[in-house]
Amino acid sequence: MIDFRAAGGPMEQFEILPIVPIRIGGIDLSFTNSALWMLIGVAAIALFFFFATRRRALVPGRTQSVAEVLHEFISDLVRDTIGTEGRKFFPYVFTLFIFILIANLFGLFPSIPGLPHELHTFTTTSHVIVTLGLAMTTITIVVAYGVWKHGWKFLKLFAPSGLPLWLMFILVPIEIISFLSRPLSLAIRLFANMLAGHIILKLFAGFVISLLGAGGVVMALSIAPFAGAVAVMLLEFLVAALQAYVFAILTCIYLSDAAHAGDH
Amino acid sequence: MADDAGKQSPPSLEEFSKRLDAARGDNADAEKPRAGTASSMGRAFRVASELLAALFVGAILGLGLDTLIGSRPWFLLAGIAFGFAAGVLNVSRAMKQMGKPSDGG
Repeated sequence: MIDFRAAGGPMEQFEILPIVPIRIGGIDLSFTNSALWMLIGVAAIALFFFFATRRRALVPGRTQSVAEVLHEFISDLVRDTIGTEGRKFFPYVFTLFIFILIANLFGLFPSIPGLPHELHTFTTTSHVIVTLGLAMTTITIVVAYGVWKHGWKFLKLFAPSGLPLWLMFILVPIEIISFLSRPLSLAIRLFANMLAGHIILKLFAGFVISLLGAGGVVMALSIAPFAGAVAVMLLEFLVAALQAYVFAILTCIYLSDAAHAGDH
Repeated sequence: MADDAGKQSPPSLEEFSKRLDAARGDNADAEKPRAGTASSMGRAFRVASELLAALFVGAILGLGLDTLIGSRPWFLLAGIAFGFAAGVLNVSRAMKQMGKPSDGG
């Protein structure tokens, strides 16, 4: 008989579990499953690029080709949206893209059965605090770079030129809110996509288990949610890549705004 | 490869970038058919999150001002109104960006 408690609810996969409890001055700094999967992701990325760039052949091998395609993809993205000035942001955008992509994709791995709960597969990007952290980093860079490059003229971003004064009182607050909503919308989009996808996946999988548990003729019906789960899984691979791309391109667009704030 | 690039004079680089643009133009055409259902879902998510985020920020700013001055709920209401306007502005900007061929999201 299948243990239903072990199957868990659809939200159980997002639970943060401490692996190494650490407490410093009343602040919980435990090494959690979220931190573990970030570490796994970063380690995998570092290993991959170490091996991909080790040979540095003129005619690239398979791993080197993948690394070069990724590099070129983001490089083109940065140049197309920010311009030649964007060259210095390439490392940041590339890191962001690869980290989100790998975090999203690793979250799709099935957990190894029999492992303790703390070590089950965990999608770090399904937590709003992680995505908000990434988004706030982006916006901090945007503001810092904008102020460093344009000084007070950076504030012109909030005041479109050639407007009558009375319109300013309405438009400036709107522009400020619009600017402040950027990190939030970046964060919410990534986190909501990951959360929704994983819940749907888990629900379909749950249906399969309940139908199998019902026994008899009903068991045959479990093929329908199983097909659904396979379809959602495929879609999730696409969403994982797409969301990493969207995050990267929006970062580029915001950086381009900061770079060209004083132009108009 | 790097040595070759160093030796080339500016005009040939220009010519190279022209060829690069042409090649990239072909790429963009090749990628167009892929913009199917998944892309439209991404677009829907984008529009929804832009609208919601602005509304949320406006409401929070209004509420914060209210608690500072003690004038609840007037700034909250104004914040929601401004937030909604900012959301619509965000959405219209997002749609404008989506019209460009370089952005699929």
